[in-house]
Amino acid sequence: MELLLQALFNGILLGGYYAVMVLGFSIIWGVMGVINLAHGEFLMIGAYGAWVLFRVFGIDPFLSLAIIMPVMFGVGYVLQRVLINRVVERPHLISLLVTFGLSIALANLFNVIFTADPRTVPVSYNGSFNILGMTVPIVKTMILGLALLIMFALHVFLQRTRLGRSIRAAAQNKNAARIVGVEVGRVYAITFGIAIALTAAAGAMISPVAPIFPFMGPPFTLKAFTITALGGLGRIPGALLGGMVLGLVETLLATFVPGVGTNVGIAASFVLLVLVLILRPQGLLQGLRPMEVE
Amino acid sequence: MGFLRRVWRLISANGGIYSWLTLIAILALYPLLTPSGAALLTATQLFMLITVSSNWNLIGGMTGYVDFGHAVFFGIGAYLMGILVTVVPDYILFSPQLGFWQALPLAGLGAMVFALLIGVPTLRLKGPYFSIAMLGTFVAMREIIRLLKPFTGGGEGLDLPPVLNRTRDYYFMLIFMGVVVALMWWIRRSEFGHSLLAIREDEVGAEMRGIDTTRHKIIAFMIAAFFTGVAGAFWAFQNTYIDPDVVFIEQRTVEMVMSSMLGGLGTVWGPPLGAFILYMLQDLVWANFYNLHLFILGVLLIFIVLFVPEGIIGTLGDRSSTSLGRLLSRGFNRGERTMEERA
Amino acid sequence: MNKILTLIAILAILGGVLAACAVPGGGEAPAGGEEEKVILIGAAVSETGKYAREGGDTRKGYLLWEEWVNNEYGGIKVGDERYKVKLIMYDDEGDPDTAAKLTEKLITEDKVHFLLGPYSSGLTKSASAISEKYNMIMVEGNGASESLFVRGFKNLFAVLTPAGNYTESGLKAVADAGAKSVVIAYEDTAFPTSVAEGAQKWAKEYGLEVLAVETYPKDVADVSGIMSKFKDLNPDVFVGGGHFNDALLFIRSAKELNFTPKAMIITVGPSNPKLVKELGADADYVIGPTQWDRTMSYKDEYFGTAEEYAQRFEKKWGEEPTYQAAESTAAALALQIAIENAGSLDTDKVREALNAMDVVTFYGPIKFDETGKNAGKPMGAIQIQDGDIVVIAPESAKQADLIYPMPPWDQR
Repeated sequence: MELLLQALFNGILLGGYYAVMVLGFSIIWGVMGVINLAHGEFLMIGAYGAWVLFRVFGIDPFLSLAIIMPVMFGVGYVLQRVLINRVVERPHLISLLVTFGLSIALANLFNVIFTADPRTVPVSYNGSFNILGMTVPIVKTMILGLALLIMFALHVFLQRTRLGRSIRAAAQNKNAARIVGVEVGRVYAITFGIAIALTAAAGAMISPVAPIFPFMGPPFTLKAFTITALGGLGRIPGALLGGMVLGLVETLLATFVPGVGTNVGIAASFVLLVLVLILRPQGLLQGLRPMEVE
Repeated sequence: MGFLRRVWRLISANGGIYSWLTLIAILALYPLLTPSGAALLTATQLFMLITVSSNWNLIGGMTGYVDFGHAVFFGIGAYLMGILVTVVPDYILFSPQLGFWQALPLAGLGAMVFALLIGVPTLRLKGPYFSIAMLGTFVAMREIIRLLKPFTGGGEGLDLPPVLNRTRDYYFMLIFMGVVVALMWWIRRSEFGHSLLAIREDEVGAEMRGIDTTRHKIIAFMIAAFFTGVAGAFWAFQNTYIDPDVVFIEQRTVEMVMSSMLGGLGTVWGPPLGAFILYMLQDLVWANFYNLHLFILGVLLIFIVLFVPEGIIGTLGDRSSTSLGRLLSRGFNRGERTMEERA
Repeated sequence: MNKILTLIAILAILGGVLAACAVPGGGEAPAGGEEEKVILIGAAVSETGKYAREGGDTRKGYLLWEEWVNNEYGGIKVGDERYKVKLIMYDDEGDPDTAAKLTEKLITEDKVHFLLGPYSSGLTKSASAISEKYNMIMVEGNGASESLFVRGFKNLFAVLTPAGNYTESGLKAVADAGAKSVVIAYEDTAFPTSVAEGAQKWAKEYGLEVLAVETYPKDVADVSGIMSKFKDLNPDVFVGGGHFNDALLFIRSAKELNFTPKAMIITVGPSNPKLVKELGADADYVIGPTQWDRTMSYKDEYFGTAEEYAQRFEKKWGEEPTYQAAESTAAALALQIAIENAGSLDTDKVREALNAMDVVTFYGPIKFDETGKNAGKPMGAIQIQDGDIVVIAPESAKQADLIYPMPPWDQR
């Protein structure tokens, strides 16, 4: 019983992380129709950013978000203008291939710069405390809290602000948005900037709990697919739901299947992806754009 | 481009067929010059890349279903070979040497059956959803192979009997490549091939013209899977050991996609040409860039996609050849446009 | 369409000619002058790719030996003559296809006399199948997986302690200190699997009860499932088999779930100073197996003591030798001793000499069993104490006593 509670709690912590990790991916896909295969690499860049700031300036990874997010927003904005903008209007295959090239290039560039040695950020408060017989890991709980906060802020931004409404309008119907005076190009660049900033923030947050290395990205990209397939495109509640489902499935399998549980959990997350795509291509929750099936 | 095209016309005016025959003769007689084992192995690996790229092109380029997990068939072929010659050889096969030849077609058939099973549900999916479903299948299969420890040796993998023969391998891969490329050439000209192209250009329209699109797609998928599976089985035997992390590597699919893109998506001669250039670049040039060569590969992919989406054949060759790249560079193809507008 | 055919045909012929010219040119011509006798030794070792770091250590170990044997030792003694060594190394990029191709190239084009091993069990598997086919001797120091030695190869010799024995000294130490039970988690690839199978065997041998065994896949990002399960079992000892990443993950996860076994034995990571650098004080009290350490008391007539070897290495490369570097030098040294004992470059005679070998080097004793494993060498164990890596076993090289049990996370 205790083990079950602990496993559920671990699953929720992991799910919260997955939810915040997937936001950037889901927004870019939902708003621009671009599938960003370099998603995991931007996460990796955020993690290395936190590591460098911690090692060189001694800045706490959670505080370093204040530096990483604006910088990565700029990177995303410029990248959209010079590269992604060229493929937004073209078929998915083109953007898949371009972002795929980007992912290979980035991972290997970081491999040259930082070598393949795994890194981590040893914050001093990475222990745990006990509540009701449950072990509560401090850093992961902070990540969950911050994840919920970020999701709430993003939700408010998209629903309540003028810019947020423009983004939603561009996502729903580009041409209509143009007619009512939305500068679609600028909105896309800002959206991409926000998405990259969120992804890098997720990378920075995970830096105290996971090894950081140049090739850490692809598994996150794949999980982003699974979560998006589960939760639907571009919606924050969908990301949260998808993240939680994946986090709980992985953790419960890892805890209760004897011997090979962790393997089964990882296999299940990918089998789930294929199954959801085949059985319910529109995701468990409908998104900004419905996934089409013939 | 104009200048190149003129030079090109000059050469082609004089005896295309002779240079072609010369090439075949050189390839067939090459082992008689007693080259080193390394040279034979290099050629064999190149032939394999050409073979799998041509197969990828059948489903990815000609039918327009971009398969991001095609290496799964390579992996299934490799594992069937591994299982047949190590775990169950006494019941089914004669001996390690002969059993190899028996296991090759069986491995291909296994990959083909898997293509049928996975293709029926996934080929209904449109555009990127198919790509992702296949990518997911690929990764899921890697983890499932790891879990099936009694058959596959789990993460430790399987050791195959090390019966190496470079000359035999060379001729096998040469003939195999010849068969595959000839088949692609034939398909491209056949009615079946025209139906595939019709599906690529406009699937709904093709259906309305009376083409059984589902059947066509699945048959193309199964053909591509069969030959990729045989290539994988052959690779397993040549490498003498397999484990999930050397068999199921994403780079294999990347190389197939890159070769086809570089040469010309959806053309018969694009993948062989692209594979040839890619392999030579990797072997002769990039080896000197040390760590940077994969970085360069990534940047190169971006440049090809943005600036020469038609590939070399599509850009240089005559304009009547149908390349998917040209279709893509024009902007949305019809199928996707309707989807965008409905959304 | 015809034009395209022609274009391809011409390009292919051109390329074929280019390749034909380039391939033999690429390999270095064997020994120009006849007056100087040269032994060619080849190795395909990662300089790039996923094993770039460990492959670099391997290269440095081989190169150190080459420089020493040529300049200081005066060449390998074969009968009455001295042979210089020419070491030909290529980069296999961590890719089995490339490793196979390069090994084949070393044998058939560069015509090397002997081969040294690549880095990692997997690449050694690919390369050793080829050396076996050509009946070439390969001495390796970086493939520890037991599955390398069940294939019946006559020509593969490994100087390092096989993976099955990695945890022996560590488990013995904690059992002597009073541990009763153990849990094991390992990455399900070749090397960690051998480690874990060995750990179960040794645990039984030393009277430890194995409470649970768990696997996880390569590049796993979260092991909290395994760790909460283990925490529930409340074992005395945790054994983790995997690579450097996994050591980071295990220690992190144990701390954040407040899982406090009395000892943690983890392969690969702890013996590397980089782990302490990354984890800081959290790495304290972790025990790790080590193939070799500079403080060990072994010595030979070639490189002197282990400490002298380490100093020589530091002088040449400006960094401390890892055990991967030392075992690579040792592999080359074992080959040298075998050639000298055989008094010949003949493969059969050198193989006989390797089979008969029974020496102690700066790296430890080398004595191959019938499968080519180094059966004679015990594995050391280190513990991280106050940020320093100190040897706690074997007895002869011990720098400090084992600290057992390790203090709980909240009392540090």
